[in-house]
Amino acid sequence: MYTLIKISLRNIWRNRSRTLVITTALVLGIMGGIFSAAIRLAAEEQQFEDTIENMVSHIQIHHPEFIANPEAHYRIPDGKRIAEEIGDQAGTAALSARLVMDGMAASANMNTGVRIKGIQKEAESQTTKLDQLLEEGTYFEEDWRLPSVVIGRQLAKDLLVETGSRIVLTFQDIDGEIVSSSFRVEALYTVTSRRFEERTVFVKADVLGELVGETDAVTEIAILIEDAERYREVTDDLRTQYPDLEIRHWADMEPALYYSLEVLDQMLIYLVGVIILGVSFGLLNTILMSILERVRELGILLSIGMKRMKVFSMVVMETTMVALIGGVAGLILSFFMIRILNQHGVNIPGGEGLEDFGFASVLYPDLPTSFYFEIGGVVILFAILASIYPAWKAIRLAPAEAVRAE
Amino acid sequence: MQTVIKTEGLSKTYTNTAVPVHALKDVNLEFKEGEFTAIVGPSGSGKTTFLNVIGGLDKPTKGKVVIDDIDIATMKESKLFDFRMRHIGFVFQAYNLIPVLTAVENVSFIMLLQKRPKKEMEQRAKEMLEQVGLSDKLNTRPAQLSGGQQQRVAVARALASRPDFVLADEPTANLDTESAFNLLDIMARLNKEENITLIFSTHDQRVIDRARRVITLVDGAVDKDEHFERN
Repeated sequence: MYTLIKISLRNIWRNRSRTLVITTALVLGIMGGIFSAAIRLAAEEQQFEDTIENMVSHIQIHHPEFIANPEAHYRIPDGKRIAEEIGDQAGTAALSARLVMDGMAASANMNTGVRIKGIQKEAESQTTKLDQLLEEGTYFEEDWRLPSVVIGRQLAKDLLVETGSRIVLTFQDIDGEIVSSSFRVEALYTVTSRRFEERTVFVKADVLGELVGETDAVTEIAILIEDAERYREVTDDLRTQYPDLEIRHWADMEPALYYSLEVLDQMLIYLVGVIILGVSFGLLNTILMSILERVRELGILLSIGMKRMKVFSMVVMETTMVALIGGVAGLILSFFMIRILNQHGVNIPGGEGLEDFGFASVLYPDLPTSFYFEIGGVVILFAILASIYPAWKAIRLAPAEAVRAE
Repeated sequence: MQTVIKTEGLSKTYTNTAVPVHALKDVNLEFKEGEFTAIVGPSGSGKTTFLNVIGGLDKPTKGKVVIDDIDIATMKESKLFDFRMRHIGFVFQAYNLIPVLTAVENVSFIMLLQKRPKKEMEQRAKEMLEQVGLSDKLNTRPAQLSGGQQQRVAVARALASRPDFVLADEPTANLDTESAFNLLDIMARLNKEENITLIFSTHDQRVIDRARRVITLVDGAVDKDEHFERN
């Protein structure tokens, strides 16, 4: 075994330029694979943090008519009690019972359609972390004469207002009567979705409740669950518990986002597959060339009595060693690449447009350590598999002919 | 003297050519222990095929190759590998050393495959390289040796494992006169001292002149089998 290792190592060293080519291909393959996986994970995490956790939540509950007619009239019967019940259930991480309705926001200069969300300060900060999304201003702390409203940065631009400005919100009360009231902009929030920023405003639920004529009214319950992967299961359980209510999970509410994540997943699997296959075939070709160049040498080994299995092992061992060198180098370089990219971020081409769909234009890739080993392991495994055909070719050589090869 | 190799009705026909080639036709020969034999004949007369078949590198179409009372023509490939390793030494025309191993490692290699003790292996390899006049080149790789020196390493490798016989396929074909004589002197000496049976295929008159037995093949058949008295 020791001599086989020695021969393999010396053969690797003998063809330094070829070894360098294979090693470089492996390093690039691993870096490509890890980069793709890191970007995918970063995109997914960003999607969940920004869109799901900051805006939509995992699950929402409404009155069945509310989706088509988002008005205070379609409130959840006994909404407060239902919210308390769900909040007490195991698996619920946070919950916000809101009074939500569509309406108009008007400044002295402009007006636009908005969704008005009446929230409870603490519950909302636990559910959507709204308090952490503020770019400017304070989180419902001012004791102004006019009630506070928190609006998106984009809406502030559209309405030409800033913190401290007065805006008028117009909406229907529970009886369908039009109500208008002035609010003062206390803070501007920012999220990755420009549409959400220009369409959603937050006010205190008790203020809005008084204006619509029912202080305890709840039209929307937004739920964050502890195990995000179980969103379908939890939704089904809630549907069984509350069959008269409309209960939807984030994939129902944001189908475009759900499918784009699915497509991204598939694309990345194909991409990583193509990279690994490309590297494997490159390796196969290079090893095969090295075998064809060494036909006579392998012929001597077979002639003097080296068994075919040992010749096979020698070829596989040579590739394994190169794969290990390239693999380890690739993993180390990838680790530093991800560290650097994580600090500086990766600009996604065309990212400005993507923000309209809830994608960030800058991603900060990060990977758990196990990923490095998984991807490195897969590339090394494929490299070893790629050596099997050349090794098989090597042992098929007829010694009598091989020793006479030019 | 004991018979080392015996061929009976040995024939070899290549059928993977446009027209079948009868490379060996009914060859019946016996080789005794310690013989120094040259197989001669024009190109295409079957010299190399004969060496390949008696060396177990190729299978005959018909006939027997009996070594140690065993017909190697019917032996399974896996056993044949082992048999070659233990009983036969090879010297090829184009030196054919393993380029990444030093002279002493090349010589030891076959003993390593035989799983000989490390100490014995090293000692024998050094001894053989000394016998072929290369004690100062133990740790030199083939690329740094001249053609003659490489062929001497190949001879040392072939003899190191004390095989029953050594087959040499035109060993002097690529050597200049001085190197060829030098190699022949060494082989003749080792043939006597170690009592090893040597069988050469050759065109080279210098080899033929040293051989004590000269077998001439023509069109795959034995044309002449002559014995000579040489010192």
